[in-house]
Amino acid sequence: MADWVPLGDRAIRFARPARSARALVRAVRAWPGVIDVVVARHDVAAYFDDAPPSEAAWRAWPAWIDALATAPDDPAPVRDLALRAIYDGADLGHVAAATGRTADEVCALHAAATYTVETMGFAPGFAYLSGLPAALELPRRTTPRTRVPAGAIAIAGAHTAVYPFDSPGGWHLIGSVVGVQMFGPAGPLLQLGDRVRFVP
Amino acid sequence: MSFVVVRALGLVTVQDLGRPGRMHEAVPPGGALVRDRLIAANRAARNPDDAPAIEVLGRLVIRAERALVIATDTTAARAVPAGGELAVASEPRRVAYLAVRGGIASPLVLGGRGALLCAGLGGLVRAGQRFDSAELAEAAATSPPSERPEEPIRLVAGPDPACFAPGALEILTSAAYRILPSSDRVGTRLDGPALPRTAAPEITRPMVIGAIEVPHDGAPIVLGPEHPTTGGYPIIAVVAHTDLGRLFSIRLGGTVRFTR
Repeated sequence: MADWVPLGDRAIRFARPARSARALVRAVRAWPGVIDVVVARHDVAAYFDDAPPSEAAWRAWPAWIDALATAPDDPAPVRDLALRAIYDGADLGHVAAATGRTADEVCALHAAATYTVETMGFAPGFAYLSGLPAALELPRRTTPRTRVPAGAIAIAGAHTAVYPFDSPGGWHLIGSVVGVQMFGPAGPLLQLGDRVRFVP
Repeated sequence: MSFVVVRALGLVTVQDLGRPGRMHEAVPPGGALVRDRLIAANRAARNPDDAPAIEVLGRLVIRAERALVIATDTTAARAVPAGGELAVASEPRRVAYLAVRGGIASPLVLGGRGALLCAGLGGLVRAGQRFDSAELAEAAATSPPSERPEEPIRLVAGPDPACFAPGALEILTSAAYRILPSSDRVGTRLDGPALPRTAAPEITRPMVIGAIEVPHDGAPIVLGPEHPTTGGYPIIAVVAHTDLGRLFSIRLGGTVRFTR
């Protein structure tokens, strides 16, 4: 049976089943009393309404978590998005040096890949995009920047992302998106499961 | 217009009960720092519990531009004539709420009407800003939420005990911690004995309001309504849901004690 831990008295956390983030969000939100779900890279959290879950509910989680392994996929089609990009990031030279490539090769590698929104976190609308070419994988900066501008395209570890807001950040800046707002009154531009390409 | 802001000092925003249901988009629930106090102000003004009101972490002075009925979380509703001024200060607590009969008019954005500063929704209330009543129907009279007496804030231990040295939770539940002035709606920073961590690696994991996360320096941070939905610092314990309001009511510089 699946293991879980309490995250306070209105949420639980458990290991992420091997399903798409969209399928997990859809299935967990259908649990009684659940108002929110966070799918992180290794974990999922389910958040309950103001009333604490019943004793019976606490006993039911393991079976429900087990059932997520066969959760059906979200029937809504996966969206394909192309983001216009300018590769002018402040860390482009560093990334090129650290990966043993030229700056042009770094840009070409980054723009050739198709990415998937694997998780969202850190800041509203911040999407962790998987699919970064292995040749571009680098640890985070040793010293985070106190301010990264909104729209900055960055890489760290196995991910790339676009910062939705001016914020502190520890990823390597390689460029910026053009003509789009990553988060606005209509919500985030990117959603879980989206396929994303960067077009120079 | 109903009233104009004469002066706003500190962190003053329009708030309601937040925007649940969007955490999978990395949007935290937001809403009033102390929900029960927002509700108390709304009930005193005969508004629905979730009507938008003004959250004051600091001090606010308004001037009525027409006759209004105004209540706060600690004072009964009273009539303010056109031209009358009213001051609301959060002292001796951290936060106060000002409710206007009919609610504050504020557009519905992503399911909420309050400011969510981390998402660029709404903003700080500023001098000169004008507000209207939302003209919400008068709600039935209801008593305010009951307040718990002054006693330690209860914690749920975990979920990351392997990330802390033995005895860390005992330190947290035996010492007094001071609420640092750098606290905001994202996190309430505590000053007191450091909570020693182990060398367990940091993993970016889901967060929750009330989670007590501990950076490398061992100084705990209690996550507030605008917390990041994921974070890498381990969580030593989570504040019991029904005690969040009491914790977030303690004035900056005040002390808090935790218990299991």
